[in-house]
Amino acid sequence: MDLDTLLSYQWGGMLPEFIIIITATLLSLLDLFLPKDKDRKLLAWIGLAGIVAALLVLFTQMGDPIVTILNDTYRLDSFSKAFKLILLVGTAFVFLLSMDYSRHDIEHRGEFYYLFLTALLGAMMMASSADIITLFVGLELLSISSYILAGLKKKNMNSNEAAFKYVVNGGISTAVILFGMSYIYGFTGETNLFNIQAALQGPLVAENSFLIIFAFFLLFIGLSFKIATAPFHMWAPDVYQGAPTPVTAFLSIVSKTAGFVIILRTILTIFISAPGLAVVHDAGINTEPLLVSIQPYISVLAMLTMIIGNAIAIRQHNIKRMLAYSSVAHAGYLLVPLASLSALVFEATWFYLIAYLFMTLGAFAVVQHVAAEEKSEEIHAFSGLMKRSPLLALSMSVFLLSLAGIPLTAGFVGKYEIFMSALGTAQQHYILAAVMIGTTIISYFYYFNIMVQMFFRPGNPVLHKRRIPAGVSFVLVLCIIGTIGFGILPGIPLDFIQQNFNFNEFFAQP
Amino acid sequence: MSGELLAFFILSLIAIAGGVMMLNLTKVVHMVIALVFTFLAIAGLYVLLSAEFVAVVQVLIYSGAITIIMLFGIMLTRHDDRTEAKTGKGRQWLVLASVIAFFAIMFYGIRNLSLGEQATTLHVKNTEQIGMLLYSKFVIPFELVSIVLLVALVGAIILAKRDDKEKEGESQ
Repeated sequence: MDLDTLLSYQWGGMLPEFIIIITATLLSLLDLFLPKDKDRKLLAWIGLAGIVAALLVLFTQMGDPIVTILNDTYRLDSFSKAFKLILLVGTAFVFLLSMDYSRHDIEHRGEFYYLFLTALLGAMMMASSADIITLFVGLELLSISSYILAGLKKKNMNSNEAAFKYVVNGGISTAVILFGMSYIYGFTGETNLFNIQAALQGPLVAENSFLIIFAFFLLFIGLSFKIATAPFHMWAPDVYQGAPTPVTAFLSIVSKTAGFVIILRTILTIFISAPGLAVVHDAGINTEPLLVSIQPYISVLAMLTMIIGNAIAIRQHNIKRMLAYSSVAHAGYLLVPLASLSALVFEATWFYLIAYLFMTLGAFAVVQHVAAEEKSEEIHAFSGLMKRSPLLALSMSVFLLSLAGIPLTAGFVGKYEIFMSALGTAQQHYILAAVMIGTTIISYFYYFNIMVQMFFRPGNPVLHKRRIPAGVSFVLVLCIIGTIGFGILPGIPLDFIQQNFNFNEFFAQP
Repeated sequence: MSGELLAFFILSLIAIAGGVMMLNLTKVVHMVIALVFTFLAIAGLYVLLSAEFVAVVQVLIYSGAITIIMLFGIMLTRHDDRTEAKTGKGRQWLVLASVIAFFAIMFYGIRNLSLGEQATTLHVKNTEQIGMLLYSKFVIPFELVSIVLLVALVGAIILAKRDDKEKEGESQ
């Protein structure tokens, strides 16, 4: 391959990634050469400008045909554009939060900002590739950056514990993913997802279909560590509690979105037409598709995740732990469209992730401010918030109502979409839908408990009255607009999907 | 029994024994030595698979560099080089049961494994082929790995660096 072939690819498709790389490099150099006592807030603004520029470029790419570079090691289709949008918006919000995060806790401000950018870069590569190697490297870039970010509060024991637990659990999950991938590569000899898909229909695979199912489980189990579904959610509460609040927000939104992106991309592309278990019919022995064979397993996993996440969240006293279990539960809801193999799996997942982004980031913004005022992350730090600052209390209520899935909020529309996706398939999944409703009702207990604290409990004496910083209030306003706006007018984002994203491109090979 | 099979058995025995010893020894330095045996045996397995380049890299990076870094890490940090008390009996049985279950599934899976035709030209210029693939088809992940290394480096420095400024501030 000579230089001309290399240059003949449409490298312009990678422009958002290039912008993020350049911004991250620029930040690290500036951090190196700026005097030590200089405020690092400038770096945050540059980083934010980089993310916004990447977002703008992404918008200009909407509607363009599929771009593939170097045999799909980079692939820009509607699926990647749609989910990169969530990743970029989520990171931009996290940046706004992190600018106002307590200066005392984190001394390495510069690294704090550009590690977010490298993690974002990893997540974006996971969204825009159809090659196992690139996907894996992107996953590792995201993971390693997150491990460091979780431990940045160096003098805080909880933060150290969080980073350590995250590294160990992440390392195990990486090993499991690689083990699964090695089987898939061993049977097909390909790293490109579409070539694997084709090779999986060969005679060699039909003879070894048991091992292919086994490889699927290894891959799925390893990846489900990343999205923190039960029973692989054990790391989430400790890591979410110990990590600095903006990092927790990043993990629960950007990292989780990236996890779902890689799960959808690998599993749906690789195994869409792979043979599964042999089924004995009256007419003889048939081989059903692999995705149908494993459907019960994913359904059970989704149900377990919803039940465990919501049930344990009730007993939490720390607000960040509670939100961690709540995010476990939301991962369970998000698995439902995949488990029911609905045709709307992309639309439902995308919409729910957008709604989840707004409500969770808003909640974390309030948590960050209240925790800074009260020097406590316990739930009783919220008592009497209505008297102290009604605006904060009201906006927190909006986010909690949306997380609980009350009508007129984005959370409700998202849940409704998922619910319909479970019932809209040929074989209707009543049990999944029932568990979803049941666990949603359980979740009312702990979401409303916070509202009881805010509105009806006597307030604490205000220890450190602070004005709401500009970044936090900006995030709050945008999140409230998103949460209520998408709840009342769900047509806007749904039309946006219809017009800009053609998810059939996901399976198309140019 | 062919020579290749014999070599495979010896090497895999060393690799597994090294891993088990690493888990069960009590002194940290002994653990590292056990790990070196595992790494070297795995390098031998790579040679058997005609992956000479990977084998040499394995010896250089894992048995050489990583082991040295671990030894430095042990020597340069304050440490209690005895392991802590073991976990409970119930948990050990649970782990044993799951290991056996995993083995049984794997054994059932690979018992009738058929891999079709064997490749015969694996050893031909494989270092050159790896280089050509890395710099043409896989140049994007290759460049991305460099960012992974950069991040790991930055992370190691900021997490391990002692904040001397803070110390001075306290003593004043």
